[in-house]
Amino acid sequence: MIVTVQVSLVAMVGGMAIGLVVALLRIARVPVLNGLASLYVDFFRSTPVLAQLIWIYYALPILTGQSLTAFVAGSLGLSLYAGSFFSEIFRAGILSIERGQSEAALALGMTRAQAMRRVILPQAMVRMLPPIGSSLITLVKDSALLSIISVPELMRQSETLASLTFRRMEVLTVAAVVYFGLTYPLSRAVDYLHRRYAPES
Amino acid sequence: MGYQWHFEVVVESLDVLLGGLAWTVALSLLSMAASLLLGLVVSFARLSPWRPLRGVATVYTDFLRGTPLLVQILWVYYSLPILTGVVFSPFVSAAIALTLNLSAFVSEVYRAGILSIARAQREAALALGMTTWQAMRRVILPQSIRRVLPPLGSIWVSLFKDTAIVSVIAVPELMYRGKVLSIETYRPLEIYTAVALIYFIVTYPQARGVDWLFERARVRG
Repeated sequence: MIVTVQVSLVAMVGGMAIGLVVALLRIARVPVLNGLASLYVDFFRSTPVLAQLIWIYYALPILTGQSLTAFVAGSLGLSLYAGSFFSEIFRAGILSIERGQSEAALALGMTRAQAMRRVILPQAMVRMLPPIGSSLITLVKDSALLSIISVPELMRQSETLASLTFRRMEVLTVAAVVYFGLTYPLSRAVDYLHRRYAPES
Repeated sequence: MGYQWHFEVVVESLDVLLGGLAWTVALSLLSMAASLLLGLVVSFARLSPWRPLRGVATVYTDFLRGTPLLVQILWVYYSLPILTGVVFSPFVSAAIALTLNLSAFVSEVYRAGILSIARAQREAALALGMTTWQAMRRVILPQSIRRVLPPLGSIWVSLFKDTAIVSVIAVPELMYRGKVLSIETYRPLEIYTAVALIYFIVTYPQARGVDWLFERARVRG
């Protein structure tokens, strides 16, 4: 369970970092990089996470000659996957702030980077909180897939325990309850954020 | 990086992979259809005036939405036979698990759709002498359908990708066949790359289609 939480957190931080860079590249329309960023987002959103994880764990090492531990491969896979949808959340959040705001900031003599950091992002952040929360819940649940590439997280440990004790039904039920215990408080918090911050529309 | 690609392996096994894709599509269609119906029942239960029914439906959706699909698939596959004494094939187990999981998400979409239709509409229908059921069927549902289409589209796209997970219980769909082939041919890089590409080629147009649905819904307001 600790590994589940670790992997989810790593994927969230990694995914948000990737997502922010990708979102900014796409908004700023940097030539070439903009196209690559769109391709990355489209590709990771249109293929199963499981296929991505397995590709990174089994296929990538052949290509690079560098073998990855299951934990690294799993964190990398989940981060890249998370990055693809975080970038969409960031992009939507940043674009939802009216043009006038950035024009006003520029008119006050800020550079574009300053305008982004001091004016746009703080406002966008508030609007992005609810979808970011939902994504975190998805990540916790998707981390169960790492058991397939043998990362010793909650699901993997349950499987091991199940084959040792021959009590698969009981073990799986407990695993389900533990996951529920992790995600339910999160989803309540997200509901609260939605009610508090969601724009009226 | 000096890797020698051998894509002829993929070409040789392409029919096996595409056969897997047919299973993926069949499983997705079956689970989606079943969950559209089950979701309707669940959403009515959640909107029911009778508290115990509402409570049960809430626990049902919360639990299915709060636990990983992988856990649900394994649970259905290993535990249902113990509980019911009936052994299901991997395909049927997968369809049951996916349907249960989706029905929770679908019911939330329906519920939001039904609640989004203004109260006054229902009251007007009742004032015209319709029964609650008639009002629901003739006034509320026809209007809700337009609003629920885009989110249902998103659910369909994620379902299509999530079917890859049922490879763990050996349903012979695309992901499972990729796994078997990569072991048989010793060419995981080519096979898994091909699998990912096939998923992308099939899913991407659908994802764009859903984007279009959302766009259209926004234009109409």
